[in-house]
Parts: sequence; C-alpha cells; structure tokens
Amino acid sequence: MDHIHPGADTLALPPILNLTAAAALLENLLTLRGRPLSLNAGDVQRLGAQCLQVLLAARAAWAADEQELSLADCSEDFLTTLNLFGVAPKSLTYCKELP
Amino acid sequence: MDPMAAIRETFFQECEEQLAELEAGLILMESGAAEAETVNAVFRAVHSIKGGAGIFALDALVRFAHVFETALDQVRSGTLATGPGVMNLLLRAADVLADLVRAARDNGVVDETRTAALVVEFTQISNLGHELPPAPKSQPTVCAPVPTWHISFTPTPALYAKANETALLLRELRRLGPIEAVVDTTHLPELSEMDPEGAYLTWNITLEADCAEQAIRNVFEFVEDDCDLEITAAPPAEPSLKPGDIITGDNGFSFEFFPPPVFDEEEPPAVPEPEHHAPPPSPVVRQSPVEAMAAKAESAAAVSATIRVDLDRVDRMIDLVGELVINEATLSQRVLEAGIARASGVAMALEELEHLTREIQDSVMAIRAQPVRSVFQRMPRLVREVAAQTGKQARLVTEGESTEVDKTVIERIADPLTHMIRNAIDHGLESPEKRLAAGKPAEGLVRLTALHRSGRIVLEVSDDGAGINRARVKEKALENGLISPDATLTDDEIDNLIFLPGFSTASTVSDISGRGVGMDVVRQSVAALGGRIAISSRPGHGSSFTLSLPLTLAVLDGMVISARGHTLIIPLGAIVETLKPKAADVFPLDGEINVIRLRGGYVPMVDVAASLGYSDEFVELDQSVALLVEGEGGVRAVLLADAIHGQRQVVIKSLEANYRAVPGIAAATVMGDGRVALILDVDVVVKTTRSELNRPEPSVLEAH
Repeated sequence: MDHIHPGADTLALPPILNLTAAAALLENLLTLRGRPLSLNAGDVQRLGAQCLQVLLAARAAWAADEQELSLADCSEDFLTTLNLFGVAPKSLTYCKELP
Repeated sequence: MDPMAAIRETFFQECEEQLAELEAGLILMESGAAEAETVNAVFRAVHSIKGGAGIFALDALVRFAHVFETALDQVRSGTLATGPGVMNLLLRAADVLADLVRAARDNGVVDETRTAALVVEFTQISNLGHELPPAPKSQPTVCAPVPTWHISFTPTPALYAKANETALLLRELRRLGPIEAVVDTTHLPELSEMDPEGAYLTWNITLEADCAEQAIRNVFEFVEDDCDLEITAAPPAEPSLKPGDIITGDNGFSFEFFPPPVFDEEEPPAVPEPEHHAPPPSPVVRQSPVEAMAAKAESAAAVSATIRVDLDRVDRMIDLVGELVINEATLSQRVLEAGIARASGVAMALEELEHLTREIQDSVMAIRAQPVRSVFQRMPRLVREVAAQTGKQARLVTEGESTEVDKTVIERIADPLTHMIRNAIDHGLESPEKRLAAGKPAEGLVRLTALHRSGRIVLEVSDDGAGINRARVKEKALENGLISPDATLTDDEIDNLIFLPGFSTASTVSDISGRGVGMDVVRQSVAALGGRIAISSRPGHGSSFTLSLPLTLAVLDGMVISARGHTLIIPLGAIVETLKPKAADVFPLDGEINVIRLRGGYVPMVDVAASLGYSDEFVELDQSVALLVEGEGGVRAVLLADAIHGQRQVVIKSLEANYRAVPGIAAATVMGDGRVALILDVDVVVKTTRSELNRPEPSVLEAH
C-alpha cells in the first residue's frame, strides 16, 4: 500500500462504484482537489468503467497539481476488477517526485 | 496372435500406464502440489486413452473420456476452479474411466448408471465453472500455438446509458480464453471538464483462444451499436521467419534464422554461420519449428527406455540362474572334496565364478524388482470407496512408493494390504463427529509406508483413529471362548488376539470388513510369503500394522545347520547370534521346556530335531550349538542344533508346490552336493515354544 501522507484527506470509496456513483465521485474529488488525498478502497465491491475513468482522470489531475494521491486498503474485488480492466493500482496513484 | 489383437493388447497396457499417471496427477492436484505441467499430464493421459479407444471403436469409453477431457481442459485453461468438489468428481471419474477401460479389455460390462450420473455431474460443474471467477493461477504452458485475437473496444456513452458495463463484457470475453487488456486513456479529459457519464476510454484486448471470430462478436452482440469494435486475428509470431531468412538488427549486425534443431533428421543439426551467403542448410522443412518440437517431445514421451517382456521369459531366466547357483555350489563342493589348495588356480577361478554368479543373480532379481507403486496406486481409490461406504472421511498418505520388491511379492501383497486398509478405515477411524469430539480433524489419516530394512521390505499401514479397544477385544475373545476368563494378558497379547480366526471387533458386521475374512487371513497370506505381521496400538492415537516381507521369494541367505544328520537352513534374517550353551545357564521349566539364562533374561530353548520329530531324545548340551533367533513381533528363542556349517545363499524351492505344506518348514532348497535341505520356519518353531510355555490360552487358539 502506498504511503499515506500525514496531512492527506481521506475519501472512502463507496461499495458500489457503478454508473450512478460516477457523478458523486467526480464531485467529491473536485472538492478535494489541490490537496494530498488518500482513497480508501477497502469497501469497494463493484467498479464500473465510468468510475474508473473518473479515478484515472483524478490521478492525472493530482499529478498536474503535483499533489500526492494514494490508495489505501484495496478490497479484493477492487483489485480483481482493476486487473480485468488492465489498470495497475499504481496508475491510480501519484507520488510527488523528490527534487 | 493376429496383429490387430496384439496392437489392442498394447493399447490396453498403455491405458493402464495412462490411468496410473492420471491417478497420480489427480492426487497431486488434490494435495495442491500440482504444477501446470501436472494438469497437462493428466489431460494428456485422458486424451491418449480417448484417442486409442477411438481407433478400436470403443464408443462408451470414447464418450466418457471426451466428457472427462473437456472438464480437464477447463481446469487447464483456468475456467474451472479445482475445489474439493471438483477434485472429488475428477477422482471418481478416473475410477470410472479405469472401469470402462477394463470392461472394454475384458468385454465386461460397466455400471451404466454410474457413468451417466458422472456425465450429468460434469455438465453441471462445467456450467457452474463459467460463473466462477477463474482461479488466479498462472496459465499452464501450452505446446501448440494458440491463435491470438486483437480486439479494440471503445464504448460510447450510450452503452453505459443502456446499463451495459465494460467489466461484464471483459468477463464474458475471458470465458473464451485468457485475455490481457490495456486501457487507452488518450481521450480522457481534464477532471474538471469531464462528464461523469461520458465514455472516454478505449480497451485494446489480446485474447488467446482457439475460437471463431463470431464467438467473439457474440460477446458484444448487445452492445454492437453502442461501441466501436475491431476484431483482428493476430498473425502467428513464429512462422514469419523462414529458415535462411536474414535478420538485420538495429546495430547492423545480421544473422540468419535457423529453426530449432530437429533431432530426427539424419544429419547433425547445422551450426549457424554468420555469413550472409550461407545456403539454407535445412533439408525440406515439413513442419513449423514449433510443431516439430512438440511432435518430437510427444514421441519422446511415447518411446520410453523400457521394453515389455513376457513374465514367463523372466521367470525361466530366474529358474536357470537358480540352477546356476546350485551348480556353482556343487562345483565348489567337488573342488573342496578333491582337496585342491585354496591358492590354486582352480580355486581362484572358482571364486571369481562365485562372484559372477552372485552378480548375475542380483541383476536378474533386479529385473523382477518393481516399485510398490503399482500396488499403492490402487489404494487411493479403495480409500475413497470405503470412506464413502462407511460415511467416514479418510485421506491416504503414501510414502516410499518407489521401494522395489520382487514382482511375485508385489502381486501377493495387494490383497493383505487392501484388507488392512479397509480395516483401518472401517474399524480404525472414528466417525467425523467422534473425531471432532475427540479434538481431532474430521478427516482421518491412513498412512501407507514402504521401506527397506535389513534385507526385507517393511510395509506399514497406520491410522490416527481410536486405536484398538482392548476391553472390547478381550470381551469378544471371552465370548467366543478363545481365552479363559482368568487369563491375564498383556496389552500386546490382547492386540494380537485380532489375528485369531473368526475374530471381528466391530460390533456390527459391515459390508466392508465383515466378510468373514478377518485379520487371520491377512496373517496367513503374509506368513505364506515368509513375512511377519506385527501390530501396535495406542488408545486414542491409532493403530499401526507392520508387515515385514522378504524382498524376493527366489533366494535366501541362510545358515546351514545339521540336526541329527539332517541338513537344515535357518534364514539369516532371523538369527540374532550364535552361542555355546553352558549347562549351568540352563534351567528346566515345568514340562519339557528348558530356558537358558542369557544376559540377565531367560529365553526358552528348542531342540530343532525334537521339534521336527527327527528324534525323541534331546541333544546333549555339551555337544550342541545354540542359535538365538527372533521371530514375529520380536519373540526370541534359542534353537539347539548339532553343528553350524556356515552361511550360504540358497535358492528357494517351494515345498508346497512340489510336495505339500509341512508345519515348521518354510521351503526347501537343493544343496551343492545335490541333496535337498529344508528351510526352517523360525516363526512357527519359536511360537510353539511360546505356547508350550505357561500360556495355555493362546495354545487353544493356535490349535484352530
């Protein structure tokens, strides 16, 4: 698991990340933007493609802002589905490079 | 024999080998120790049987093998997880397949309902298998190249709006074969600008599956209008290079492509040369390199470094070698009688001959030696069946399958072992509830071990059950009038009561063990092999039966003794030491038995000649030699004889086959001077002393 930044906000991902959850997820992420963030995926049971693209876009946004984005507590289902989608958990996180 | 019948016979012989491989592989899979190659081997075994059966139009066999093979293929591709249920089904299927093979061989009949029931189970399980997520295990390596498909899939927002989901489509796709998806995020907008219900991703999927394009299209059938879909068959990687092709690397270095060497060509594989102008070295290439390698590997597996020889021929050779040993002994005797000096050329040559004879004999015996695996392999099935019949859970652990022993011994240990294992499960192991109550795992353990120990093979069947219920055994023995009520028996003696004829400890006579065949029959058949059986039991911890058998039934190392002018052989394995008895150490016991004091203990003495009825008079102590022998279960006695003539290897000739069974005599042999000598059955002789001692109760039993 990625190192959690001490001052990072935490966003617990809901168990069902399907089509209907995508809008709320995006909204949440937008409000947390600009600060280090830790995503808790411990409860995730289902992950749809649309929430995936929100998470991928979030990673790009955090990287652009040079803020840390980490994943904590990934559930088995979350990792299995990521694998099915061909997405490595690493490509959902961003770690600021040391100068 | 007509050629077709001969081929058919070979096919069935090979079937037996494949079945053994199948069983071994499945057991490995069950234990969780299987590798991808094990699954492949199991699959190949069934596949080969199916293929051969097809040639001989054995339809029932082909049909069942096909269903079995299909399931195994699913296991191989990872679409069917091998949980305990599936493994159990596969093992039972292996049993049915073996039955079908044997029925086809012997023109017998099989239980059609059992076969049909299994087929139904297979259908259910393979449907179920599709719903299961594939086991996260590494894909087994497949020899033949599997066609690869490239699929480019870009959903539109409409796809999601219609409640379709990419993850489900990918899962569907994975049913066809292993997939590898790569997500393309090129069109992903900035987070703040994205529509959460939009569709920005494209998946590039590689699918390895031997299927038609239509099968892939069917997966996307309901979303075809709401996505961009491109399906292309990937060109096979290997054949793009032909022998003789020049490959030029980025650095300008060129080399010529050669197929992997194919060893069945006459000429040695050519050595690659860096020159551009090298002529294509390979002759006609009929197969792609990969195919050729695969074919080569298969043929190598088919032609193993063994030959099949009729047992008769081997037996005849063993007989002849036996004669050679006798003849060599005769020659030695004659040379000795002629008074030729030990250092003379004749004696030296004779010694060499002796070594050579011994070596030939060992080598011939090694031909007949076989690993006990062939017997052990039958046991897992037995355990499954008996466990199912008794409603117990049992697991068999075997050790030392590669221990070698003479074929005749192998053939004759199968029945006693079968019976002992049945007994261990039926009488030894407790029911799962009782086991759990006793703090043991519900599944009982039966252990079957083989090992070599001082020139004998030792087979042990042990269980972790309740052990022998001694109170019950004694009660039963009293009931049957086998022992007198005032008898005081040691634990060991009580345990040994179960070897008495007609003894059954189970309160209810069951189908499995209670067939009127008790442990006495086991003991008899073991004794007929020149073996011993011993039992040890710990209440609550289980029992263990130990069989000790000679490695071969053809030769024996023995001590030549004489008793009242008769030459006798005492098996060397039974002799502990020889001694010269002193009159002061001998004490008469009641009746006609004497005991000798030996290092603080007392051992009963037996006059060999008297016990065999050669003479009524006992040998004078000062004119005799004594041999301390140990019989079954470590019981000792001192045998008195007139003289010891030395140690010799003798060829065993069955007395039963040539004359009739004689109590106290195990077999006969022909000595160097041509005379017949008898081989003493030490166990019987020792036991008579024991029962003639102060144990009237067991002697009642012995009389049975």
